[in-house]
Amino acid sequence: MNKYQGVITQVESDGALSIVHVDVKGQHFSAIIIDTPVSKPYLKSGSSVYVIFKETEVVIGKEVEGHISLRNKINGKISKIDKGALLSKVTIQSVLGDITSIITTNAVSAMGLERGDDVQAMIKTNEVMLSPVGANDVKSGA
Amino acid sequence: MINLTLQKQLNGVNGPLQLDVNLDIEKGAFISIYGLSGSGKTSVLRMIAGLMSPDKGSIQVADEVWFDAAKSIDKAPQKRNVGFVFQDYTLFPNMNVEGQLKYALRKEDDPSVVDELLEIMDIGQLKSTYPRTLSGGQKQRVALARALVQKPSLLLLDEPFSALDRGMRSRLQDYVLQAHKVFGLTTIMVSHDVAEIYKMSDQTIVLEEGRVAKQGKPQGVFANHEVSGKFQFTGEVVSIEEQGFLLIIFILIGSDFVKVIGSRDEVGPLKVGDRVMVASKAFNPIVKIINP
Repeated sequence: MNKYQGVITQVESDGALSIVHVDVKGQHFSAIIIDTPVSKPYLKSGSSVYVIFKETEVVIGKEVEGHISLRNKINGKISKIDKGALLSKVTIQSVLGDITSIITTNAVSAMGLERGDDVQAMIKTNEVMLSPVGANDVKSGA
Repeated sequence: MINLTLQKQLNGVNGPLQLDVNLDIEKGAFISIYGLSGSGKTSVLRMIAGLMSPDKGSIQVADEVWFDAAKSIDKAPQKRNVGFVFQDYTLFPNMNVEGQLKYALRKEDDPSVVDELLEIMDIGQLKSTYPRTLSGGQKQRVALARALVQKPSLLLLDEPFSALDRGMRSRLQDYVLQAHKVFGLTTIMVSHDVAEIYKMSDQTIVLEEGRVAKQGKPQGVFANHEVSGKFQFTGEVVSIEEQGFLLIIFILIGSDFVKVIGSRDEVGPLKVGDRVMVASKAFNPIVKIINP
């Protein structure tokens, strides 16, 4: 699980859905959620939130050119690759801190990913979860 | 209105436990009590029913004082107008279904209530049947009907459906809801099952170590993890398989098993038996009709 603290900069709502823009150490994030400032009052500019996404939802791009629909793109450098038979865990150093991505070992080989490579970590807007800072955040429930 | 002030030193499974619960319950409400084993849930019901005496406090139901430690009032269980249904079917083996209900009739009760209950609980055709040939669901319907014969002002349910399979449980829940409505009952139900609590109750109370930790509408009480993933459940870790840097976590959610991929970084010192929240974005799940 990748989890970073940031501040909401903007909330766009339409019906029950909202796209929430979050600034994490200068890096922009967007998350789409089934909530609005009415259902979740913490959804407002200036609120501190955690941005959360699973390792398995992090796409890695290398020398990416052209357009791509993924909205969350973070530049970084590979600091570690932990290769398994099928899956590999890639650690990327970025302005956010370490980002962990789990991708297929096949992809690691095909892209020739190595420690020190400059890459982009990308996460779809609908894979990003938010949790207000200070609330009963991701821990076991009652 | 029911006012409860209950204090008692209990010997819980995890050592001594100081139960300290204050509750005001509206007439006609359907309240559920949720909590881990040993949090004092059943003791609260037993004290209301008069099967256990609080050390201190009082129990007032409408204008009647059932218990008051300061005034040494402690009404006997049969003098308290409560119906009680437990998880295990406490039927008399030597009586048929109709007999079980008639046995509960008091002199002043209108005997027609027996037929009415046989009908509401859909057990009229089983009138002459003895408990040993009844199914679990049927037994529990009889137990429920018997608990309602005296038209109690308060119905107490202690995990009444937990021994039943899901289909039967769902039907029993409907019977209880119907009886709750028809008889204008005030009902207090102890349950482990969050789905059941959502379905049945107006208000839920979460007990932790003998104290009310949370209280409110089930939606509020159970939905306050504040993570924006809407596909969110609580469950119990049943086993953990390590596979390289990945963990395959088996989690029991209600009566369903799910397998979730995780990693040590994500879950930390997770171990078998832990209660966990399982969340995913609402965008991921697919929905498919599986009606028979």
